[in-house]
Amino acid sequence: MLRPFALYRPTTLPELGDLLAEHGGDAAIYAGGTELLLLLKEGLIRVRCLIDVKRVAGLDAIASDDGAVTIGATVRHRAVEQSPLLLERCPLLAGVAAHVANVRVRHVGTVGGNLAFADPHSDLATICLAFDAAMSLWSRGGERQIPLAEFVLGAYETARREDEIVTSVRLRPWPQRTVGAYLKFGVYERPTLGVALAVTMSPAGQVSEARLAVGCVGPRPRRFTDVERRAIGATAADLADAAKPLADATAEAVDTVDDLHGSADYKREMTRVFVRRAVAAVAARAAGREFDERYAHAVVV
Amino acid sequence: MNVCRALPVALPPAALWKLLWDVPRIVGCVPGCVEAREIEPHRRYAAQMRQKVGPIGLSVPLDVTVTEAEPDRRLALQARGRDPVIGAEISMQVTLGIEAQGEVSVLHLEAEGRVLGKLGALGHGIIQRKAEEAAAEFGARLQRAAAG
Amino acid sequence: MSDTHTPSSCSLACTVNGRAVALEVPAHALLIDVLRERLDLKGAKRSCDMQVCGACTVLVDGAPVSSCTYLAVEAEGAEILTVEGLSHGDTLDPLQEAFIEHGAVQCGFCTSGMLMSARALLAEDPVPTRERVAHHLRGNLCRCTGYSKVIDAIVACGRRPEARA
Repeated sequence: MLRPFALYRPTTLPELGDLLAEHGGDAAIYAGGTELLLLLKEGLIRVRCLIDVKRVAGLDAIASDDGAVTIGATVRHRAVEQSPLLLERCPLLAGVAAHVANVRVRHVGTVGGNLAFADPHSDLATICLAFDAAMSLWSRGGERQIPLAEFVLGAYETARREDEIVTSVRLRPWPQRTVGAYLKFGVYERPTLGVALAVTMSPAGQVSEARLAVGCVGPRPRRFTDVERRAIGATAADLADAAKPLADATAEAVDTVDDLHGSADYKREMTRVFVRRAVAAVAARAAGREFDERYAHAVVV
Repeated sequence: MNVCRALPVALPPAALWKLLWDVPRIVGCVPGCVEAREIEPHRRYAAQMRQKVGPIGLSVPLDVTVTEAEPDRRLALQARGRDPVIGAEISMQVTLGIEAQGEVSVLHLEAEGRVLGKLGALGHGIIQRKAEEAAAEFGARLQRAAAG
Repeated sequence: MSDTHTPSSCSLACTVNGRAVALEVPAHALLIDVLRERLDLKGAKRSCDMQVCGACTVLVDGAPVSSCTYLAVEAEGAEILTVEGLSHGDTLDPLQEAFIEHGAVQCGFCTSGMLMSARALLAEDPVPTRERVAHHLRGNLCRCTGYSKVIDAIVACGRRPEARA
């Protein structure tokens, strides 16, 4: 049984703002509840009320405008997985959404809730970093945008102020001729490691842009711009040959933490292994080949 | 969790030793410590620690016992407490060694601790991080207190 | 106009296994408790209590949810299907028949969750591949068996036209 709370269901942002102002720290923002209800069940947080954001107009859309794609905060993982717009513009994101947690969490959990909770052991933030994601935050005082990389401050810690809510995340779809892969690994319910890699190939068949993000192994997911730079100019064959050095460079730079999902050393080693595999996957796809390798306890998207 | 750190402090050992016993000033240096009082001089203290782990707020009344005190050289203490709201139990062993370096000192901090309960399991990775950050912050604040 | 639910009086009107239900529930009530304690539907099991194992799976408007981590009030206006709603009198659902035929039940504790997950899958993908079934069942844990007979049963059921809901 949960401890009793009141449940408010605002239908507009100003109403939500009033509720937040009235209840402050005694309120929790509630969307899918897949993280919140667990915390409440464990008694790790106590609240007087839940503010349900699912009826607030305008938070549940997936839309495209001037080159960017915006996903509303209350969009479920399932909707991301099946969205025709995302399947066309950000297929790897839709592919990753199909593997978030389990099918029940995918039906109930939301994009905004996931990103705002900032559980390090999650896929969404990692893959969104590879799309240069930016968060939109609303409060009674106004709206602001903040890059996802700056929004996530640490494990379960974000730059969201207590009077703000996440309204959407904005992504920059990859240019044409971009191939990517997302590899996730772990034996537990939540992933131990997630690697997102994408390269854009020039008409001459060389890497013109690269994106590498690694998440789950440390307090926050990260892009590895130094490693990305090293891939520029490579042909698909060069890339395949560079798998080991790129992986080693990433493993050197990655920030890993000891926890119940693995020791810091283990995670560093797995980063090495899976970045190497990610490069192999992307190099194959860049050369127009299928990548059929499968690895134990891992998903290749 | 386990933290080892060498913290330079611009004070000679005797002055640093004195500062360490100055409860109001030391409370200001320890991140998360919102109050402390002396129960038995140089032996027992009570402190209130507050820390946030994401959305989870921890508030622990700590019972602090000094187990070793070698003037101007070494201080060891034990701290224990329990957050009644979330059921997290904290226990810590801290030793502080003062190394003289001419007119100034280096404070060698060694802290070993455990968080038991659900938070300890969930927060394992974060707790170590937070402890390391807290030790660094303690060093910085101590430097400022020494200067002021 | 927003409605304020106080702890003691949220009215919940929905259908459960085809029958209309109207209850007063507190805002903090979990769906599993309402199903098991108020409606006497014990099929959904509280097992891990953290939405990982799937033993509590029920369908809300066709979507599988972890009833242990789902507020009852979210079911307002919805059609809920539990394992008790699969059979009709003495007639078992083809999925249940398939589970029996293929020996997919041992202690039975995970079975209601497996059936409900499978039911949701077949509604969406009537003839799923083994791989698809395995992916879909990732969130349903069984401690007795190696899952293969469960997958056999669901794949076999998928190939039978009368199984398609």
